[in-house]
Amino acid sequence: MRPCGTFDERYSQDMAILRIKRHWAALIGALLFLYTFPLYGSYYFISLLNSLSITIIIVLGLQLVSGYCGQISFGQAAFMAVGAYTSAILTGTMGLSFFLALPLSGIIAGLIGLGGGAPSLRIKGFYLAMATIAIHFVVMWLILHLQITGTTQGLHPPPPRIAGFEFDSDEKIYYIIITVMLLMTYGARNIVRTRVGRAFVAIRDNDLAAEVMGIELYRYKLLAFFISCFYAGIAGSLWAHWIQMVHPEQFTLLHALNYIGMLIVGGGGSIPGVFFGVLFLRLLDEGVMLIAPMLASVFPWIGIHPAASMSVSVFGIVLILFLIFEPRGLAHRWEIFKASYRLYPFSH
Amino acid sequence: MKEFLQLTIPGLMVGSLYALVAAAVVLVYKSTRVVSLAHGQLLAFGALFFWMGIVPFNLPLVLAIPMALACSIWMGWLVERITLRPLIGQPLISAFLMTFAIFMALDGIFQLILKGESKTYATRLSLGEFEIIGIPIRVVQLISFGVVLLVFLSLALFFRFTKTGLGMRATAEDHQLSQSTGINVRTIFSLIWIFSAIVAAIAGMGTGYVMDIHFPLPYIGIKGLIVALFGGLDSLPGALLAGLILGVLENLIAGYLDPLVGGGLKDVAAYALLLIILLVKPYGLFGLKRIERV
Repeated sequence: MRPCGTFDERYSQDMAILRIKRHWAALIGALLFLYTFPLYGSYYFISLLNSLSITIIIVLGLQLVSGYCGQISFGQAAFMAVGAYTSAILTGTMGLSFFLALPLSGIIAGLIGLGGGAPSLRIKGFYLAMATIAIHFVVMWLILHLQITGTTQGLHPPPPRIAGFEFDSDEKIYYIIITVMLLMTYGARNIVRTRVGRAFVAIRDNDLAAEVMGIELYRYKLLAFFISCFYAGIAGSLWAHWIQMVHPEQFTLLHALNYIGMLIVGGGGSIPGVFFGVLFLRLLDEGVMLIAPMLASVFPWIGIHPAASMSVSVFGIVLILFLIFEPRGLAHRWEIFKASYRLYPFSH
Repeated sequence: MKEFLQLTIPGLMVGSLYALVAAAVVLVYKSTRVVSLAHGQLLAFGALFFWMGIVPFNLPLVLAIPMALACSIWMGWLVERITLRPLIGQPLISAFLMTFAIFMALDGIFQLILKGESKTYATRLSLGEFEIIGIPIRVVQLISFGVVLLVFLSLALFFRFTKTGLGMRATAEDHQLSQSTGINVRTIFSLIWIFSAIVAAIAGMGTGYVMDIHFPLPYIGIKGLIVALFGGLDSLPGALLAGLILGVLENLIAGYLDPLVGGGLKDVAAYALLLIILLVKPYGLFGLKRIERV
């Protein structure tokens, strides 16, 4: 909702994401902050931002398939693993450049994701959710048992290199990760405004009605799975070259469940919601990690290492609270805040 | 032939436990249309309460079983009352996500109690074993198999002949209609969660005997869900049959195919089976096919 007196005179104004000068100022300020951050930020915050950005890319993909298209997918961690392994094999074993392997691993993860989306022709809702859980286990089993993926040993991909310059530390690869994250966000923001995005929303709201209106259900559902797995694959590739180690333990069902949780907390059907969800849950997690050892020293009966189990519990409880009290997620709060800010001093 | 029987009979025993978990899921689905991921936790806590009764408190069986059941009843009621009651009337998918949130919340507590160890009560309960044509069978497992069949029989009778059972079946058809005929839908919801918690706890006691109580135990719930989908989400006989089939199939695959591919097939067999079932028969063996209107 916009305050009175603001009118769009041209279509380009109506379609613009950044409408006013203050938006541009905020964007440039944020970009300056992000790109100069390694100059003064500490090591901890740089690696935190790295992992946050990678998680944001994955959850963006999940937002497109689950939040916009309504097909709940628990397979995101497995497709991230596919991307990570593809990238590790392409660069490590075949000696391809990272900058070629990055899009390729996204595309290959997307193509395998088409297989994951195949059951969506006949089933939906929790049936499909269970099918994606099954796909997760089948994919992870294959990764663990194929020779090319190094079985239980995992793989060690080299750091990205261009013209003799190696992105071998957290600060250096930070620039790549941040750039890719911004590009992917821009892409997602635009996908949902196009014909494809509108078709996704129609399918989410009622798939039979959408089909009657002339949307090819199967094509768009498969497209949604392809895009979301493409995002997961890109994130996996970045992850592999940042950590420089891929192992099946890094992509468990728990990770996939976490991504769904971030989607719920952030709010389905909203791109800013992804950022809110990821930030909220990750910072909460970091907070629990910080507090858990203190709690353990005060109450010895909860054990020596309560951090992992406590963070799972806190995650579940936060999810329960959000589902009861704020089912539309933080993005809804954000919309309310924006509306009241624009209309201030009037309430309507 | 002997090898085949050696694989099949333990498979039937384990499969009967899968069937019981699936029965808990089916119970909830039958009357509330909610597919529950949370029953893996109810199962794990049932096993944990039983272990607490037997090992730390050193209770006799006659006291330990009612104690574990009472704790599970309380837990099932609490879960329904706190988390699912506020969601009545909301989209079903949010109730599904809620059961997933419950799973996570309880999973943390479960691990906090275990502290990374694994607990076992199998040694305390050994009633010995006997042999039939050279196949060793443990008496406790035979008892648990009998209990499973008894539970299924009593559930079937309950749904058929008691007033509450009929009320539950009516609730499954239509909440508003059954409310207008004088059925208290909220009470039915509470009752169904208590029932399913009891069934899950019985399954937990049996499972805790076969495998130790440690961190992967709640994930049996996912297997139960697979079995429920296989048999058809609203069919109790389907759950029993599918559970037995899955138990036997897992053992046969582990026995005959694992040596060929180098192990681990048993873990993934259930999921591969689920994918095939969902593609070929999306509503399971005996499930009702739903026809939708826009």
